[in-house]
Amino acid sequence: MSNEILLKNCSLFDPVQGIDGETVDIAIRDGRIVESVGSKATIINLHHRLVMPGGVDLHSHILGSKIGMARTMMPEYHRTDPVPRTDTTRAGIGAIVPSSFVIGYRYAQMGYTTVIEPAVPALKALNVWEELADVPHIDVGLLPMFSNSMITYHYLQNDDLSGLAAYIAWILRKTGGMGVKVVNPGGTYAWAHGMNVRELDTTIPDWDLTPRKIIRGLVEAVESLGLPHPVHLHPNNLGKVGNVETTIAQLEAVRDIKGHNGRKHIIHLTHISFDSLGMMDEGVPEWKYVSSGGLELAEYANKNDHFTVDLGQITFGPAITMTGDGPFQFSLYQMTHNKWSNLSVDVELPGGAGIVPYIYNPRSPANAVQWAIALEYALSIDDVWRCVMTTDSPNAGPFTQYPLVLSWLMSREQRKIWADKIHPFAKERSTLMDIEREWSFYDVAISTRAAPARILGLQNKGHLGVGADADVAVYDIVPVKIDLAKNPDRILSAFSTSFLTLKRGEVVAKNGVLAGDGPRQVHTIHPQLDPALWNRINHELEDLINRFYVHSFHNYAVPSRYRENMEQRSVIQSERISP
Amino acid sequence: MADAHILENVVCPFCGCLCDDLRLTIENDVIVQCERGCALGKAKFLHYREDRMLSSTLRQGSSQIEISLETAIDHAARILVEARRPLIYGLSSTENDAHREAYRLAEYIGAVVDNTSSVCHGPSIIGTQASGEPMASLAEVRNRADLVIYWGANPLYAHPRHVNRFVRAPGEYIRDPKAERQMWVVDVRESVTSRIANRSLIITPGSDLEVIGTLRALVRGHTVDVASVGGVSLDTLCELANAMKRAKYGVLFYGLGLTQSRGRHNNIDAAIRLVQDLNSFTKWSMLPMRGHYNVTGANKTSTWTTGYPYAVDYSRGYPRYQPGEYTAVDLLRRREVDALLNVAADPAAHFPRDAIRGLKSIPIINLDPKRNLTSLIASVNIPTAIAGIECDGAVARMDGLPLYLKKIVEPPEGILPDREVLRMIFDRVKEVSDN
Ligand code: SF4
Repeated sequence: MSNEILLKNCSLFDPVQGIDGETVDIAIRDGRIVESVGSKATIINLHHRLVMPGGVDLHSHILGSKIGMARTMMPEYHRTDPVPRTDTTRAGIGAIVPSSFVIGYRYAQMGYTTVIEPAVPALKALNVWEELADVPHIDVGLLPMFSNSMITYHYLQNDDLSGLAAYIAWILRKTGGMGVKVVNPGGTYAWAHGMNVRELDTTIPDWDLTPRKIIRGLVEAVESLGLPHPVHLHPNNLGKVGNVETTIAQLEAVRDIKGHNGRKHIIHLTHISFDSLGMMDEGVPEWKYVSSGGLELAEYANKNDHFTVDLGQITFGPAITMTGDGPFQFSLYQMTHNKWSNLSVDVELPGGAGIVPYIYNPRSPANAVQWAIALEYALSIDDVWRCVMTTDSPNAGPFTQYPLVLSWLMSREQRKIWADKIHPFAKERSTLMDIEREWSFYDVAISTRAAPARILGLQNKGHLGVGADADVAVYDIVPVKIDLAKNPDRILSAFSTSFLTLKRGEVVAKNGVLAGDGPRQVHTIHPQLDPALWNRINHELEDLINRFYVHSFHNYAVPSRYRENMEQRSVIQSERISP
Repeated sequence: MADAHILENVVCPFCGCLCDDLRLTIENDVIVQCERGCALGKAKFLHYREDRMLSSTLRQGSSQIEISLETAIDHAARILVEARRPLIYGLSSTENDAHREAYRLAEYIGAVVDNTSSVCHGPSIIGTQASGEPMASLAEVRNRADLVIYWGANPLYAHPRHVNRFVRAPGEYIRDPKAERQMWVVDVRESVTSRIANRSLIITPGSDLEVIGTLRALVRGHTVDVASVGGVSLDTLCELANAMKRAKYGVLFYGLGLTQSRGRHNNIDAAIRLVQDLNSFTKWSMLPMRGHYNVTGANKTSTWTTGYPYAVDYSRGYPRYQPGEYTAVDLLRRREVDALLNVAADPAAHFPRDAIRGLKSIPIINLDPKRNLTSLIASVNIPTAIAGIECDGAVARMDGLPLYLKKIVEPPEGILPDREVLRMIFDRVKEVSDN
């Protein structure tokens, strides 16, 4: 059997190569893109259908105990979407928090091939790796959390940046992570005292530290290690009216830090729908004074290029919020009086992650404004390369709503239809209705493929140049024949189910019909330290872990048995860090 | 000289504490010494070779005859293929990969798959489904908790190191646990645990819900116009409510005394709401005292695979969930199932009498390392390796922390881990049903 494929007559959108809808042929051998293939190659004629690199999602909660707890809490969601087994696929449930197999299937059906789990409690990483075995079709990366860990604080309080960097390196190596997640730095820790920390310069309980010091320390440590993905920031003060000011202050607090190798972007700000709430002039931080902070953040972004963002776009309807931000989740519970779970063991030691189901109501003034924020941002920024489309799945809505989000971004008409249906605050408290911009296929390909891959530092993803992984999405539309902005329903149908999804050159979904599991990898970063530093950190962590935890340092690492079949390890040289 | 070595930081696969500081001495591939474990943990590690089933057996009349593994697998597969409503049950005393194989098989044959939480902390899960749950972590308990309440639990008996490792041990912010940490016990009778507690409240059996309801009212500042509730004076309850509000970091551990007494999941729902209310005043968390060492893991694997933590029915090709309907005891009571594949549990010893009558009327395939009451009545017994001693695997502690069980010694010859046997049954089922 030939392992060569030729995709003929693709209308390709590949922003990394600057290809904007031109008709090309794509040659694939052994799962990678090549210059050309021989005459025995399998030929698939795509007849000018829309082709993009496989989708890359850099922020979606798909693994681990938070989503597990969310599933446990919400049988009423699962009942609405049973997924039967087929000859090639496993059974499960779909809806808002799908079972593991179904997560892989649904991403593949939408043409997505890489997904990042953005909130891994490092000490529970074994659980995450076990689950990974049951998430088919997608490549994955994991971001362990560091910002409320007593070990992080120990090093920061001692002004020991080498120690902090080495701790990060140790965790990434021992638990298989690819980057550093920061969640409400200091605030989640304060939740162990039943409190929150909202401002940059407030001292946190038990330690002589502030969020500013924590964020700066972690950004500096990440840059000193040279991690491909910058710090992934969920800022303080989430969900508070007017918090766009705190968010900008936090971005401002790290602006002067030099990126390694001259890179500009040193921080990634996540789910701006929750952290860019504006406030009416002369208002106070109460929901009745909420306005969109999307434009304000966009203006800041247009002037400062040290950060990237993802949207966390609200999609209306049932969702479930799950973050490592324990106090935010509790305040949400106090608003909804719905169910509330807190997982103390989830943010390293203290505080805890929270889970609260939430229904985004189109009639709610607050939700209507939140809907406008991320759209206003995405349509007001100059550089789409710094803006990734997400729903912070399942926080603002499940990832299966991405086509709906694209329809809002691509069609002004669609925005009008929705704005007329929801609470008028969406129009009154944002500039969204004045914006004429409509994203093109090229913009979509940047925001859902090229940009996230670049922000993550995944060099073989997000494009289809020679040498790239042959992860390809084909959608059943011919771009030149249709004005999608006038046909938002076609956006929904086209992006909901790919015509073909290829994963490393294998067809894994065809018109929504799935193959069994295909080839997939978990991408990890393996920083190489100076041996003296490596030695030091192993000794110190033995003491610290045995002191702060009630399980052994020696039982912390994820054993290779759970990793070896999937792990794609990238070694980076971090020996410069002085011991 | 004998080949002897010492293994440190061994995880104890017995109760939900999963103590991971045990020290084993192994001589000639036999565990000869176990240090730091409690009596239960030591017994598990030192008596692992006793009462073993060393060969597969098939029941003929009243006797069990030895058969080869292949023959046993074939019998097992045929029983499952012929069954119209098979049940797979147990799973809490084995590692997670065995669970994953069990679900794959259950899905393929359209079985019901249930784990032992349906007879222990099932009501806790139903409570969580109604209200959520602010869960504690054991490290946080040791480091921060200044008030710990055990409700309907007797840890000194069932989780012997729980008090010593997490409550009476010094932590980062509780340097002197005797002085800085209060331990209260609420139960229907005195127990070894209540005797060492700072305070013990004896309540009338079956009154938990009223007592918790009263505490909720008191915590919220309502006046309650009765002299006593559940046999406890209102003054004492006020004292408890005030202590709860005054605590800096409170933790409620609850056991089967709360989940399996009158009120069941309503008790848990009320307890969850109490702890949630308390978070408006101070910091409170709670944790079920999970018994079997990996029942938490069984709930987790079931949930990521099916969406539901136990009581899952695959008969329609997709998972459905209904405690009380797809739970093992209820299915057996109603005589609804016609075959049982039992993995790492002893239902014949623990189920109520009418469910056992149901058990005795159907073919049972039993996977377990040891002889037990279920193996006596099983149609087919297939011995397996002991997870955490003779094979490795991942499990979850009562607070959800995953831990890796190492393989310490070789299993008896020809004996395979549960996961391998389940895989073989799956493959054989496929062959048999394809023909
Ligand atoms: S308390 Fe439980 S886990 Fe710990 S040694 Fe005893 S039986 Fe084993």
